[in-house]
Amino acid sequence: METVRYETSEVCTFSAGQGAACRCLIGTSGYSYVEWIDSGFYPAGTKSSAMLALYGRHFSVVELNYTWYQMARVEPLRRMADAAPDHLLFAAKLTRTMTHERDHDWRDQLQQYRKGIAPLADKLLAVLVQLPPDFDRTINNRHFLAELLDRLAGLPIAVEFRHASWAVDSVFAELERRKVTLVTVDEPDIAGLFPCLDVVTNPELFYVRFHGRNKKGWLSGNMQKKFDYNYQQHELQQWCDKHLLQIARQATRGILFFNNHVGAQAPRNAQVLAQVIKQSASLRKS
Amino acid sequence: MTRERFILHMNVADFAVAAERIQDAGLAEKPLIISPLQAARAVVYDMSEEAYGDGVRKGMALREAARLCRRAQILPPRFELYHKVMHAFVREAQMFSPLLESGNGDGHLFLDITGTHRLIGAPPDVGWRLRKQAQQKIGIDPIWSVAANKLVAKVASRLVKPAGEYFVSPGEEASFLAPLSVRLLPGIDSQEMARLNEFNITQVGQLATLDHAQLFSVFGKRGETLHNISHGVDQERIRPYCRHRDRVVREHHVLADDTAEKRVIEGIVTALAVRIGMKLRTDQLVGRRLALQLNYSDGSLVVRQASVKHGVSDEDTLRTLALLALERAWNRRTRVRSCILTCSRLHAASRQLTLFAATDKKQQRQQRLMAAMDLVRKQFGVDSLRFASQAWLQ
Repeated sequence: METVRYETSEVCTFSAGQGAACRCLIGTSGYSYVEWIDSGFYPAGTKSSAMLALYGRHFSVVELNYTWYQMARVEPLRRMADAAPDHLLFAAKLTRTMTHERDHDWRDQLQQYRKGIAPLADKLLAVLVQLPPDFDRTINNRHFLAELLDRLAGLPIAVEFRHASWAVDSVFAELERRKVTLVTVDEPDIAGLFPCLDVVTNPELFYVRFHGRNKKGWLSGNMQKKFDYNYQQHELQQWCDKHLLQIARQATRGILFFNNHVGAQAPRNAQVLAQVIKQSASLRKS
Repeated sequence: MTRERFILHMNVADFAVAAERIQDAGLAEKPLIISPLQAARAVVYDMSEEAYGDGVRKGMALREAARLCRRAQILPPRFELYHKVMHAFVREAQMFSPLLESGNGDGHLFLDITGTHRLIGAPPDVGWRLRKQAQQKIGIDPIWSVAANKLVAKVASRLVKPAGEYFVSPGEEASFLAPLSVRLLPGIDSQEMARLNEFNITQVGQLATLDHAQLFSVFGKRGETLHNISHGVDQERIRPYCRHRDRVVREHHVLADDTAEKRVIEGIVTALAVRIGMKLRTDQLVGRRLALQLNYSDGSLVVRQASVKHGVSDEDTLRTLALLALERAWNRRTRVRSCILTCSRLHAASRQLTLFAATDKKQQRQQRLMAAMDLVRKQFGVDSLRFASQAWLQ
């Protein structure tokens, strides 16, 4: 199988008008996919243990999504951090037992999580708190979220809502007060899903997740269909013109992740986005 | 080029207890002990986490267990129920991989999910989804772990027991095992464990530092195995699941008066073979092995077997096999107190029709006769028709 080589850099300094330039780092949600060998992103015969180093040749940031499936543990994360290229930075998802499948002992689990991610130290750009689609803005859920954010204090936090009821000014104001990043999402246009907004609640970091726009796949509940989407260059260009310009004005740093991992579309689209941003930035300069 | 393997291990902790709790939700979170109540010297078959917390262990004498956990409810084991729950679990798992291995109806499942990522997604996602399905559809809550082989996956499950999950990335086997206790390693017997203790080896990493020659000098040929285990090397393949493989059909006869008369025992063995044949044909199964156990009046016992290459369920062959096993077992003059005949290596009877009509007229007649006998026995009882050799029985 022919191996596709990716040459572009994914770190873009983006000056969006007045104020300081915003440094954008682009990466993917997860990096350890055997499927990416078949799809040519990793060379044939790549072992799992070699994937992070190869990923680091193309990207400077990665979102760890396996910490959603299992509790973050010191030993494996230390081994991973030691083996990672020096320049590689991380975002780590909060474990599902504190979001989607909340256990009665979630407070203890949160302590375990804090200890577990400690080896990432200053390489950790954000802890991603992804909330489930049925997590709507009720009194109970608001209290839970407030306590969760209190207990995560001291860590760089980004919150991704899936339910549209959270798209209100009072929520953004509270996140701003806490210096918690609101995650901007690009996803299928489905009623009830949290919309794509240009709201930045933390001037130190914005966080974007590209889930793909496969509406049928999203509703199927099948992960391989849900995240099977290939962004076209003009779609990413439109997204940059419409949203990134606005967002980048309000923050000094941003991370953008592609979650459409099926068929290695995520790393390819990340490369395209990097090109799009670079071209936009050079056009603005000229 | 060899592809990295991904083995998913699912384990329902305290499986018998979990199955009982599916049947009776009122048993949830109560201390439970599963043990045969009627047996004179009953031991604990399984216990709940609550009873475990009170000191109850598998294999412990029931009297001792009941003393340690006075509040525990004691239930007799229901193997058919456990078999049914296990089969339901396997059915869910089969949606994720055709290559799976189940334990002996004990809540353990190994799935080889190598190369299935494009169809069903990444390995941790498969583990998470299968657990969710088992919770929602069956009511059990398995631990799951993913690793490059069965050995490491099993250790990872042991590490998080009684609840949780663990993903060991391929290539990390040795570093994952190194800080763990050698007691977590499967496949090390008690004598070897005692020997390791003598050398003050408590961690897997310490064992892994020993080279082949050092291990050979202490453990002989087993040194090679211990070396592999300590480095997380395990080439064992998944043994494909067969629903009936671990199942047996067993018949038991206790004599009113102990006897050493062979023709009486022949009659009993024939009757047991007839009963087993009826059961097999009713369940559309065939078996390949018959084992006869003779229990003598002095407390000793003899077990002998007879087997065939292809599965059978017809009375003639089963009787011939049972009598052959008796021939092999009949080497004492002591009186026999009871006989147990067990048919094993079961599988489903083929429903495939033969391409050509049977030409053996004798065989055809025999089949018709057996079908007619089955009808009579179903209506009037299994002892309504007997072989002449059973005439000696009361």
